Amino acid sequence: MVTYRQLLAASVGLILTQASNLADVAELDPVTSITSEQYREIPKPSNVRVVATELEGPVFATEDGRTLYKWPQHKLRNGYSGEPPGKPACYGEPRLTTAGLMSPYPAGVPLPDRDQRPACTDLWKPFYAEADAQPVGKWTVLRRKDNRDQWAFDEQALYTSIRDQQAGDTFGGTRRKHDGDSPAIRVPIGPPPLVPPGVTVKTTSIGRLLTTTKNESLYAYRSESAEPLACVKECLVEFSPLKAPAVAKAMGEWSVVEREAGVRQWAFRGRPVYTHPDDTHSWSLEGSDEEGWENLFTQRAPSPPDAFTVQETLAGLVLADSAGKSIYVYRCGDDSLDQLACDHPNDTQVYRLAMCGGGDAERCQQFWPFVSAAENAIETSRAWSVVLIDPKSGRYAQQDHADAVRVWAYRQRPVYTYAGDLLPGDLNGAGTGEWRGKRNGLLAFWLRDDFMKGIE
Amino acid sequence: MTLHRLILPTLALLLCASSFAQSPQGREIAYVMTDLFWSVYQTEDAREECPRGFNDGPREQFETLFADVTKHTVESSQLEREVATWHPTATPDGFEFKSVEGPYSWGMNLDGKSDDEDFQHPDGTVGIDNQVYRAVGCIIGFRGPDGVEYIFQNKAIIDERYNRMMIRLTDIDDLLNDDFVGVDFFRGRDRLLTDATGEAVVPGGTQRVDDRWGERLIRHTTGRIANGVLTTVPISEAVVPWMNLNVPSIHIFRDLRFELSLSATRASGQIAGYADVDTWYHQLIRNDSTHHLSNGQISAISLYRALRRFADAYPDEAGTNRAISTALKIEMTQVHVIDEHQSLSGSMSNVRRDLLPPESTN
Repeated sequence: MVTYRQLLAASVGLILTQASNLADVAELDPVTSITSEQYREIPKPSNVRVVATELEGPVFATEDGRTLYKWPQHKLRNGYSGEPPGKPACYGEPRLTTAGLMSPYPAGVPLPDRDQRPACTDLWKPFYAEADAQPVGKWTVLRRKDNRDQWAFDEQALYTSIRDQQAGDTFGGTRRKHDGDSPAIRVPIGPPPLVPPGVTVKTTSIGRLLTTTKNESLYAYRSESAEPLACVKECLVEFSPLKAPAVAKAMGEWSVVEREAGVRQWAFRGRPVYTHPDDTHSWSLEGSDEEGWENLFTQRAPSPPDAFTVQETLAGLVLADSAGKSIYVYRCGDDSLDQLACDHPNDTQVYRLAMCGGGDAERCQQFWPFVSAAENAIETSRAWSVVLIDPKSGRYAQQDHADAVRVWAYRQRPVYTYAGDLLPGDLNGAGTGEWRGKRNGLLAFWLRDDFMKGIE
Repeated sequence: MTLHRLILPTLALLLCASSFAQSPQGREIAYVMTDLFWSVYQTEDAREECPRGFNDGPREQFETLFADVTKHTVESSQLEREVATWHPTATPDGFEFKSVEGPYSWGMNLDGKSDDEDFQHPDGTVGIDNQVYRAVGCIIGFRGPDGVEYIFQNKAIIDERYNRMMIRLTDIDDLLNDDFVGVDFFRGRDRLLTDATGEAVVPGGTQRVDDRWGERLIRHTTGRIANGVLTTVPISEAVVPWMNLNVPSIHIFRDLRFELSLSATRASGQIAGYADVDTWYHQLIRNDSTHHLSNGQISAISLYRALRRFADAYPDEAGTNRAISTALKIEMTQVHVIDEHQSLSGSMSNVRRDLLPPESTN
């Protein structure tokens, strides 16, 4: 059985400097850090800083290190949610009925836990602007309906999340792929990555993947350097150098090597960069199957717990527990205009309990058990943590709770296995729930996807 | 030399040449799946098979149950329906279920018997086992040409590679008549070769054998070709990957067999066997949300009960049938196989020799 660490052993693993609390966070050097992703310096307000994160690369944050999020407009089945540019839509009045944005269920149905239901701003604190705030670069100030001023980036109003507890946390949202049937999620914002033209960075479950802007994955060969080049002749049938124009200049961790007279190639951290034309889909990891080749990342995602394993499935690689059972994450967004998440232990548990056990917590434990953490389990990142859960309610439990279970959580949300998976590599629970698991359901924790339009 | 001594060898040579003219190069040929539909026998107005009309779907059932949604809650309405979908039971749900009542169906006689539950093939063959058809035949989402299952399943075959299932025939002497051919069933890894429209698959493409992720899908059996129609010996159990709307799922078929009309460029016909009921159901609801099911008026909640009721094989310890007879219409196009690691040279441990058709036992 392959452990996650073994899987990544051949890759360039990068360890992030972990901030212990808000006050300790230091602003990153935009071009000299090699422990995390470098970014392009752009003008910003004096009370905004850039913070390294484990999962999302550099993000903009408040002075005290809280990640800033936007809530972009998102087309749903029966209309739009999120915020159009320039128009904040997150306010202090709780929405108490469904919006009917996802068919076939109608609008106007009273939402769960109405008496305790939070307003949008209870969960998403507007990033208010000082009275004398001045626009700078892409940063502007919007006037809200409640007559307060709010910072915006690219015309999108900005918020912080109450789920983030430390600088560098991004527990409120993600930049990972979410399609039309997913909730209108909140997305962390950050400075542009310091990459050559035509290159971009994609947030995935295994790290910040370097690709071309045409979604072609970028690769490097072992410890190849400019002199001598290892990938020549027949090798160039399989891999194509990422060409650099004649006017290209080195920037940050990117340099230019001259393969032959007049043929220049980009190199990342000293290693010549290639594409793999035989990749069959976007954001592919297929080229890494070739001996000695690996995908390039600006930073790797933190490793899962040591005991976890990696299993081969019919569609790619999935994270699994120590017994080889596939790991699932629960995802939930409600059908209100606010599109509030319902996948966190502090959110209403009505949706999760319905899906995992028909409303019965004991059946949930039977069908979708938590993944137990050993007493001596060690947390090595903010992304993977050990939490105490009250199995009856699904909410966080206190240390003295008699029935509390000690389980692994990803982004503060417990992870699960599925009783219907009998053999390592089984994925019989993937896509369980509303909208193929994307709105109120369970999704497999993919580490590699060769069939579903690229790893998320 | 007499005349007949000249004529006979010449005739023999010509016959031999004629026979080999039907034999593909290298005595093997492969086909890749391009279309796959649940076999649903349809008359023009459906009155023969569905005299009570078509079934309601989730939207209609929701409106019946919760006419005034303001008097309900998300828990007591929407989530109640989702719970019933994801935690199904075989007990009646209070809605009339309209199953197929007509005498005819596509499919095969899987058990060699003819009884009251069986259909008759339109060609007159009796004993047709296709109880999935009985369950889905009066649900518009399963009917062609525009049912949601009909459309999405086929679109996925063209668009995705996860369900790139193929067969390779080996040891072929004659593509028209051959008492014994080898049959490999496996997954390819590559996109389909299409014409300039991008929609019509053309013969002559290549497919790599998927031994990277799909090695466990490889099955081997044998078959015979009679008048250009391949009939295979059943495979005891086959896993068939199934994907639409981006969720990788599977079907598990027992006693799976093929009946295909062959040509040098195409193969078409049907596959049939016994589908595992719960796997069948979960493929449906994992691939299609309640929204998509609504578009096809497919109440998963009602359908599960029908599947359980009509299940006709492989009883569990309690005597409850866990598999249901079914047939699928399949279209395939010729391709060249690249088997880099000789992954198709496996054993035939999955062949149901006890179900060998009489024609093959000579």
